[in-house]
Amino acid sequence: MPVALEARQLRKSFDGRVLLGGVDLRLDPGSITTVSGPSGGGKTTLLRILGQLSDADSGTILLAGADVRSISPQAARRRIAMVAQAPAMFGGTVLDNVRTGPRLAGEDLPEPVARELIVRAGLEPGFLRQDARALSGGEKLRVAVARALALHPEVWLLDEPTAALDDDRAEVLVRLLRELAGAGAAVLAVTHDARALDRLGGTHLELAGGQLLPEVTA
Amino acid sequence: MSYVSVSLPQLALSLGLMAMAIAISSRNHLGLERDLLVGTVRSAVQLFAVGLVLTFVFQHEQPLLVLGVISVMVVVGGWTAARRIAHGPGSGVLFRYATLTVFVSGVLVLTPVFAFVIRPARWYEARLLIPISGMILSNAMNGVALVFERVFASIHDDAAAVEQLLSLGASPRQAVDRHLRAAMNAALRPTINGLLTVGLVALPGMMTGQIVSGTAPDQAVRYQLVIMYQLVAVAAVAGALAARFARSLSFTDREQLRTFSSAGPR
Repeated sequence: MPVALEARQLRKSFDGRVLLGGVDLRLDPGSITTVSGPSGGGKTTLLRILGQLSDADSGTILLAGADVRSISPQAARRRIAMVAQAPAMFGGTVLDNVRTGPRLAGEDLPEPVARELIVRAGLEPGFLRQDARALSGGEKLRVAVARALALHPEVWLLDEPTAALDDDRAEVLVRLLRELAGAGAAVLAVTHDARALDRLGGTHLELAGGQLLPEVTA
Repeated sequence: MSYVSVSLPQLALSLGLMAMAIAISSRNHLGLERDLLVGTVRSAVQLFAVGLVLTFVFQHEQPLLVLGVISVMVVVGGWTAARRIAHGPGSGVLFRYATLTVFVSGVLVLTPVFAFVIRPARWYEARLLIPISGMILSNAMNGVALVFERVFASIHDDAAAVEQLLSLGASPRQAVDRHLRAAMNAALRPTINGLLTVGLVALPGMMTGQIVSGTAPDQAVRYQLVIMYQLVAVAAVAGALAARFARSLSFTDREQLRTFSSAGPR
């Protein structure tokens, strides 16, 4: 089975500052990887490059073994879920939001399926009719997860996914991510949350000084 | 056909009107006195200069000369439309697209009207071609400026949602469709409003001018209608073209949203 997402020698500088100084990363199907590191150290930049929202200055990204540049950006992004720390909600209800991905591809997501997705993401079914933009930060995050679930991505990239959640909600999300990995997805989460790190398990890496290294535990 | 001429001393009397505005500004501490003074002088200098140029062009009516004057209008229009657009690529880049848009929309709207509707004796008849082109090109310029400003500003403000749409597999077209439509709508709106209220609130400038200079009102009305339809068409064409250019300038060839501000990488 090929590596789900692989980065080779990613380099990115900004204003003369090296954010990524030749980063290598392998995300295998079914694996969970967590990345921590100082703020402003390039973690979000790394996620954006992996999620095809920015380009590295140099380096290669392989999606299921194929150079991502040989795949259309739209197709690649549908296979890589990006869940931002404070995800933007589109106008309309939670249902409209969850249906967005399939709709963009000209498909219809039946309401019962959407309901199932928000429940998996940790929201009550009643949220389906609520105005997405009026939700709390933690609720928006779960809508963003449900929105991404609708596309069945092979790779999940999450930026501080538990930051806006209380312990119980964080637990639900951690369980979902483990379940997704169990079903073969590759999960990469940037997080500072020590408890989430613990509960997620998998490989812990630290991004500092432009290098991605196995975290040294004291 | 006759017109009542205005002598220079009579014109000088009208400066009293500017003095009135300056006095009001000064009395109410609006701080506009300087701008009003500069505006008074500039408008006079610019219009007298244009008057001289037009007199020259009318006396030496040559196709190349007329086209030269219109080309200057296109370039100045493009330059003006590309200035001071926040959150967009620099005005150097925008200038090319703005000029192209003003040119294409102008040609598209002016050519059929001169070929089939107004049909001057000579196609390069300066008396008709220059003022009408000026009106049409300046509406194109306003449309381009408005669309550029709106598209770049709204995409910038809404960047997180646009990128979220991209992440969900949207094409650039899908991701900024809403922003483009709102901008095109805004570009057409003033011209449409003009169409709806024309004659009710004010007589349009060109019609007024024709009537003042002795044209029969019914002819002035027909000219005005042709002009207004042209203004609508050119705003639509220029708006649509500018919106497409703004969209393609907003994304990289890997369909990533460009950021034009000096903020750090995200």
